[in-house]
Amino acid sequence: MFSDGFVHFAEYELQIIALSWLCLLYIVKIFQLSRLPMLRENAPRKGSAIAGALRSYSSMFMPWSMESSRKHLYRWVEFGAYHVGAGIAILNTFTSPFAPGIMTEPVRWAFAILIAPAFFFGLVKLARRITRPEIRLISTPDDYFALASVEVYFFTAIMALLINNPLWRTIYFLITAAFLFYVPFSKISHYVYFFFAALFTGSRYGWRGVRPPVRRQTE
Amino acid sequence: MTTELAEKELEKKYNKLVGTAASNMCAHCGWCIDSCHVYQASHDPEVSPVAKAEHVRRVYKKSHDWMSKIFPSWTGARKLTDEELEKWVKLAYRDCTLCERCVVNCPMGVETPQLIAAARAALAAQGKAPEILTQLADMAISREENAELYKDFFLEQIKEIEKQLQSYMGTPEATIPVDKEGVRILYVPLSGAHTILPEAIIFNAAGESWTLSMFEASNYGVFLGDSVKAKRIAERIINEAKRLKVKEVVLTECGHAYTTMRWEAPKWFGGPLPFRVRNIIEVLDEYIRDNRLKFDPAKNSEPVTYHDSCNLGRKGGLLEEPRRVLRAIAQDFREMTPNRLQSLCCGGGSGLVAIAEWSEDRIKAGKPKADQIRATGAKVVVTSCDNCRHQITELNEHYNLGIKVTSLCELAVQALVLPQPMSATSDNH
Repeated sequence: MFSDGFVHFAEYELQIIALSWLCLLYIVKIFQLSRLPMLRENAPRKGSAIAGALRSYSSMFMPWSMESSRKHLYRWVEFGAYHVGAGIAILNTFTSPFAPGIMTEPVRWAFAILIAPAFFFGLVKLARRITRPEIRLISTPDDYFALASVEVYFFTAIMALLINNPLWRTIYFLITAAFLFYVPFSKISHYVYFFFAALFTGSRYGWRGVRPPVRRQTE
Repeated sequence: MTTELAEKELEKKYNKLVGTAASNMCAHCGWCIDSCHVYQASHDPEVSPVAKAEHVRRVYKKSHDWMSKIFPSWTGARKLTDEELEKWVKLAYRDCTLCERCVVNCPMGVETPQLIAAARAALAAQGKAPEILTQLADMAISREENAELYKDFFLEQIKEIEKQLQSYMGTPEATIPVDKEGVRILYVPLSGAHTILPEAIIFNAAGESWTLSMFEASNYGVFLGDSVKAKRIAERIINEAKRLKVKEVVLTECGHAYTTMRWEAPKWFGGPLPFRVRNIIEVLDEYIRDNRLKFDPAKNSEPVTYHDSCNLGRKGGLLEEPRRVLRAIAQDFREMTPNRLQSLCCGGGSGLVAIAEWSEDRIKAGKPKADQIRATGAKVVVTSCDNCRHQITELNEHYNLGIKVTSLCELAVQALVLPQPMSATSDNH
């Protein structure tokens, strides 16, 4: 269906163009964000801003640390499986074209097995967004499209890994490239902002001795 | 109608925190939804943290987000209208107490209260803030402008409280100094003897070098979201502390007053203040550690629980200090569940307690806290915030909790063992 030249273009040149585009736009976004003013904590500190930021970055790995994950452990499992699947699908866009030697059949199966739960939980998330009034209320077309398009991405990743023929590989890489072009404009970019938010929020809580808690002020 | 002033204020508030929260940061996952006490009490999707923040976020997106500028309907972005601003009044002042419980339960760390605070600022700029908050902020400012007028009346009141102090402590040497230069502590109370007399007993019993502030600690400019008024109100205390050359300012048991002076004021004034800022809880904790005061916990034998004020705890970092004090002064201290960082807001914070027309909503939003208190089986609820105290007192009446609500200092005084010469007549009280 696709010529060898086109398959090669989709796997290599197109990916590099799309990745460059993504990086460029993120650099611009980060630059814009960094230029905004910041009211720094400049009262004498009670705790450590660094400890607070680290605690904030790691809280997702400690489901017991937040009531929202402690009370709804299913949510945390869903969150974890979904993001692990997304990470593996992204990793595959690099390993398949640039390190084909490591993509043996067992590795491809392992990747597919890790992406499959993400695909399943993505459907659950989509169903929840449609059926639960409190989630539907806050949802925008961007939310539905982001979820649906990630589902397509997961599906093509699984097919490309398991069937591993030029047709599915090309579809997968075309979807990946389209995704990379769209992501900077979509809410899927939340993963970039997470690093800023965790730093800002975490360091404030750390400085004030809130999280991690400081037993007594030493001044 | 125009929204020009509100829009200008919103732009002024667009800093790194707000910018991050207003960008594509929120994944609309809904994890924060049931962390909010207002949502827990009503299960109304409109009052979930994310739903409230979305109103403000979408307006910011219209002018700052690439996609929203071109295809606003794709992200729900919209321009600020007078109608939208009207909706913000309730979501910003009634349905959110800026308690930050949603922040500590967000997997991404989205600072939803920053967006709501920006909405408050915009409303205040546009003249749409609740009238009572504006009046209370203006009154605080006028008190400094007319300090001489107030002074005689204030001193008369303090003389009356001083008589009670001397009677309690059994010595005419117990005093409430006002306007005294060069002392260690400037103590800033709220209006009313309940935040003066217990602290005066504690300071006198500990032999502290202190003086009483002419001003009250509360800062309605902060609740209002009006940074100019908030700075002006804080400045009164800063100027007084500088004039009296004190080493530290100690704030009474008031959540927002502490967070404002301890953490926010140094940001507003460009650096650390020229004196230390502490809460009376920290001072009491220090006295206990240094054995400057003696307590008999048997005098507080009823089961006691502690309500963490959001401002003191989650926003201020005073989580362990009140607990150490309680263990020293009460026989049966029981924790609420959850507590500390995950403590539930009482429902009356951020000025809501002062707004009479929303008292029914406030009492409804306090139901999760009332349930939490009942579950402890405690007979006494201690809270170190006057807003919380007022709200929990009303929750007690409405939900028949059968509790007594008090402050940490009042409970401490109840268990205080006075130094011998001072205790001569204290048994009569």
